Amino acid sequence: MARWRWLEQVTDQEQLLRLKLLGTVPLFAGLSRRQLGKLLVKFFEKEYLPGETIFMEGEPGKALFIILAGRVSICRALNEGEELLATLTIGGYFGELALIDDQPRFASARAAETSRILILYRSDFEDLMEGQRTLAIQVMGNLLKTLAGYVRRAQSQRNGRNSMIVGQTPATDKPGMTSKSVSRD
Amino acid sequence: MPPPSIIWALVVAFAALIVYLSSDFVLLLLLSATVAYLINPIVKIAESAMIKRRVAVAVIYLGIGVAFVITAYFVFPRLRAEVNTLSGNLPFFSQRFDEAVDALQNEIVANYPAADSLFTTREVRYEKLNNFIEQQVADLPALLSHLATIVLAGVLIPFFSYFFLRDSRRIVQFVLDRLPANHIETSVAVWCEIDRSVGRYLRGLAIEGIVVGTAAALGLAILGVNYPLLLGVVTGLANVVPYLGPIIGGATAILVTLVQFKSLSVIAQVVILYLSLKLLDLVAIQPLAVGKGNDLHPVLLIASVIVGEHALGIVGMIIAVPTITILQRIAKLLLERRRYPTHMLDSRPNSNVPVQSYVC
Repeated sequence: MARWRWLEQVTDQEQLLRLKLLGTVPLFAGLSRRQLGKLLVKFFEKEYLPGETIFMEGEPGKALFIILAGRVSICRALNEGEELLATLTIGGYFGELALIDDQPRFASARAAETSRILILYRSDFEDLMEGQRTLAIQVMGNLLKTLAGYVRRAQSQRNGRNSMIVGQTPATDKPGMTSKSVSRD
Repeated sequence: MPPPSIIWALVVAFAALIVYLSSDFVLLLLLSATVAYLINPIVKIAESAMIKRRVAVAVIYLGIGVAFVITAYFVFPRLRAEVNTLSGNLPFFSQRFDEAVDALQNEIVANYPAADSLFTTREVRYEKLNNFIEQQVADLPALLSHLATIVLAGVLIPFFSYFFLRDSRRIVQFVLDRLPANHIETSVAVWCEIDRSVGRYLRGLAIEGIVVGTAAALGLAILGVNYPLLLGVVTGLANVVPYLGPIIGGATAILVTLVQFKSLSVIAQVVILYLSLKLLDLVAIQPLAVGKGNDLHPVLLIASVIVGEHALGIVGMIIAVPTITILQRIAKLLLERRRYPTHMLDSRPNSNVPVQSYVC
């Protein structure tokens, strides 16, 4: 009993909560607790107020973002106005392509309410991958699955568009969806 | 409440004023930050095991203290003996040095008689040496005042570095929470680049110094040169100064060898030892210890060291490389947008292209 109390005294409870959240993020699925711990110390944390921009469409991507608390809207500029692509909640992640390269962002991210976000910068992730091959393979595998999901969705949208031309119902995403309703596969 | 830009301008102006008024204090803070950087990877390992940062830092400092006491118990008596012998021999140093140079001159002239015209007479050399020693003795009070500063720094640096390590996450968080939201990605990127470059450089430098110093001490001990431990420490410490450091370390060892052996062949062996160490450093130690942390052009590297020396002396030479690396990385990040052609930045969808769901 005394042993557990001692362990509780030296354990960082806030970090432990973040670790549990990180374990639920699909991008880090399959990582051991130790690997998640190594990943977690690389993250920065930032609070965003409602309406604050996290990143803008067209800016070079430098970091991955994970929602610790709150809600974030992902939008894309149209010729007139803006299209809401998704609304993400706790455990949702965005900006993952920045882990691969620094090409411009395809969409903007904005805090829909007061949100706490974990930020992982690419060079920190690359540093981690240099020394942690197993972790790198696992995360990259998960990232590839996510990308495969995007490609499939784009393909199905293209098919939907083609079907629409011959008079069928379009299969596009509806605005206002939450992270749970957005398919990543 | 004034606008954030005015607050930041005031903060920068205040920081510049502190640097201007108290350069010694800033140097102390820089050295403390260096120590914190060297220890930080161990703290991060503990943090990744979900141990509280303050507990991890306290335990690590305790461990370092114990390791220091053990090292002091085994190594310091020998080092102190070497220092005592050296200081005991110092009064006779000019005479022994003079004899050694004489012996060396005779050896060279015996083998190459034409070289005789290159050497000065004994009287001229003796006068120059005496003038040099007198000048050093005159500078002794200033040196002693520096000694007091060094002792004070020895106490304050671990103290400051402890708090740097313990509170660094909180300091970063404080700054992050006050940065404008739309600039956070670039700010985090700049901070990460600085952290990575400086961390790698300093840790690399420390590992390099320890390995080169240890190898020099072992090599000199094998060659039978006096004070191998002391010379190893001097070589390791001098190694942190780019370009000039290895020369200072080598010259000190050659001077001791000259006085001890009065022979060209042993001096040649010491020169070969130091050249081999430099080669080993360039080929094996630097790539392993510093890695890809420093990809500066050699000309820019040398230029930065020269400018650093002119501005801040030895300290300037040491901090020149990380400073120029940081400036290069920041410039690269801030100018990144220019790399992309305008049509890539204007990513509004074409109506003929299917909209891809939130890939960002």
